[in-house]
Formats: sequence, structure tokens, C-alpha cells
Amino acid sequence: MLRFWVSLIIGLVVGLGIGLYLGWVRFPVEFVNSPASSLSQRYKDDFIVMVASGYLKDGDLGGAVERLRLLGVANIPAFVQEVTERYISNSQDADDISVLVALSENLGRLTPIMQPYRRITETGG
Amino acid sequence: MGDYETENGVPRRSKYRRPRRDISWVGLLIGVALGIGAGLFYAWAVDTRVEYDTEPWQLKPSDRAQYIAAVALGFSYDSNLSRAIQRLVELRPQVDPIQEVADVACDLATTGYASTSSGLRAIRSMMQFYRLQGRSGCADSLIPFEDQATPQVVIDLPTPTPLPPASKTPTPESVVRPSPTPPRVIAPTVQPQSDYIIAAINTFCATGSSGVIEVFVQDFNGQGVPGQAVRARWDEGSDTFFTGLKPERGPGYADFQMEAGKGYIVEMPGRSDPTSQPLVAAPCVTEGGDEAISSYRVFFRPG
Repeated sequence: MLRFWVSLIIGLVVGLGIGLYLGWVRFPVEFVNSPASSLSQRYKDDFIVMVASGYLKDGDLGGAVERLRLLGVANIPAFVQEVTERYISNSQDADDISVLVALSENLGRLTPIMQPYRRITETGG
Repeated sequence: MGDYETENGVPRRSKYRRPRRDISWVGLLIGVALGIGAGLFYAWAVDTRVEYDTEPWQLKPSDRAQYIAAVALGFSYDSNLSRAIQRLVELRPQVDPIQEVADVACDLATTGYASTSSGLRAIRSMMQFYRLQGRSGCADSLIPFEDQATPQVVIDLPTPTPLPPASKTPTPESVVRPSPTPPRVIAPTVQPQSDYIIAAINTFCATGSSGVIEVFVQDFNGQGVPGQAVRARWDEGSDTFFTGLKPERGPGYADFQMEAGKGYIVEMPGRSDPTSQPLVAAPCVTEGGDEAISSYRVFFRPG
């Protein structure tokens, strides 16, 4: 009988480990109705690029900031700067970098690394 | 010869004579099954893994709508349809992804989202997106697709017709006088803008009014305008308050108490654009060295 109980306990320990691995790693709970603040970084980055593109289209800086508030970031200009610099450091798409730099610049966050990506506006005359 | 010997003298195998194993396989299997069950229960129900890599399809409906609006805004800039579709597919739509854009635009057009100029632009971007793909939605009937064409007013201005130059030979005054021929002048009128603009935002730090947004709504002459709705929005919600409820501060005065650390967007709903950046209730130090929360004075004037 002792042999049975020892085996049962060993099995429990092994099974518990397997169960936790499956439940936490392989098949974790998939949440729905999640806030945008919990989006993975990849999608947050993509969202910022979309908002920055919209800003370049309509020139509505307040609207862009309002849209980015969806991500639940306390300091939006600093966040846009961080994403922009990361895009530059990781050699992401140049067009995306360009729109991010434009938004970051208009939020007062133009840093030296962004200078080459600034959009040049031709003036008439 | 013992009981367990065969007739040939070879001992017969008996369960009592088999070598004992150290492990009970039955016990082990039962343990593993119970352990897996307990582990899954703990991982899924008791201590669920903290969510940190949500995908767009997992967003709650309101945030999903904003995400779709952002997709349309991105498309309005780069006109990259495949990229926009890819972004929409990541939302795992139950219907045609482009039709979902139309449906969401319809929903947004019926809410307060359409009361701001930035919200209207986003909805129009969505309308442009799905119209180009041959879809339609109720937003088409709720919101004019294009900015209203600048209305033109035809004004008939009487301008005098010059008299013919005098001839050397005096001629009797003509009986027929030149009649004024009113030319038609087309004068464009200006597209109506927001009623009010944010004329100024000042910040100050005082222990007496710590973390307060003081709003002043004024007319063209700088006189306070009572009864005007002002809205403050933050992450979790919004609050609308009205000017004139503290007459000792003036008829156009209203204030709002902020919570430390939060950012607030202030606007006159439907009558002004919101503040371009949130007013953050950040810690500050007064001139006397006391700690307080930064406060703001926001001035709205006719645009």
C-alpha cells in the first residue's frame, strides 16, 4: 500500500508540473474584452504608426494625442519618441519612421537620431 | 517437491514469487492525471497568467472600434489597401472586414465620437475606405461624406454704367438714360468653424487650489458667459460641468478637481476642439516651498 501512495504522490507532482506548463505556457487563457493598453508591443507600435499617418493626413495634433490615449500611456510624447527611436534603431520601414518622426517632432520630441528622417516641406516662392 | 513445482520440476511463476517493482504504475497514472487536472485548474482559474501580449482581436468593442478607425486613418494617408486589409484581418472579423469598417463607422456616427472634429475626420476616413471598396453603411446618411462644399451666395450689386464720353457737338440730353446693369458677383462664405477656441492655457501651482482646472468661457468682449457646458475627459471617464455656478468667480467661471497623476482633456462639447494635449495633474512646488498639484486656467473665446 505504501508503494501505491508513494507512486500517487510522485504522479501528482509530475502531473501538476505538466498541468501548469500547459495552462500557463502552451494553452494559456485567451482573454477577450481586453483594453488597448494591454496590446502587445508590436500592435501598439502599429497603432502609433496608423495614428501618425492620420495626423499627417489631417494635421490634427490634438486628435492624434487623443487617439493615442487609448494605449493608456501616461506620457504620450515620450512614448512616441521611444517608439520612433526604436524604429530607427531597428531599421524599420522608412516610411513608417518618417511619419513617426513627423508626429514626434510636432510633439516637441525631435532628437538628433530623427533628424535624417524629417520631412522637408517645400515652400513656394 | 513443493506445491509450486511442475511435474517436470520447473517451478511455476507465481505472483507471490515475481520480483516486486518499486513503483505502482496504477498509482503513478492516477497521480499524473490528478496532477494535470489540478495544474490546469490552478493555471486557468486560480492564478491566470497576467495578460501582456493581447492581439487586436481580443480588444473590447470600444477599443476595437478605435483600432478600426486608426486603420482607416492609416489608409487615408498611404492608400495601401493590402496593408489595411491585413490589419483588419488581425481583428478576426466575423463578417467581411471591409463591411465591419462600415458597421463600426455607423456605430461611431451615432455616438459622441462624432461630436468632435477629430472623430468626424476618423469616421470620414472610414467612409472613404469602405466606399472605395463598394460597401455602404448607415454613416453615409448620418454624416456628410465630404466637408460641406463652401456655400456660395450670389449678391447682385448695382454698379453704375458710365455715361458715354461727351461729344464735341452738344446733343440734346438723351431721353434714354443708361440703366444700371447689375453684374452677378459670387462671394464665397466661410465654412462655419467651432464656436469657441482655446485662447490660452496657463498653469499655476498653489496650495489653495491644488490640482484644479479653472475654466473661463468669455465672449468677444472678454465678458464671462454663464451656462456653458465644459467637459473634462480622462482615462476612465468624463465629467461635464457648467459655467456660472460660482458667481463669486464670475459668470463664465467653472472648475474641475483633478486626481493626482492623471491627464485630462478639456473641451466645450460640440462647440470647441479639445485641448491638444492632456492637462496633467503633476506634483509641483509653490513659491512658498509647499508641495501641491499643478493647476490650469483654460480660456475659451469665440473662434
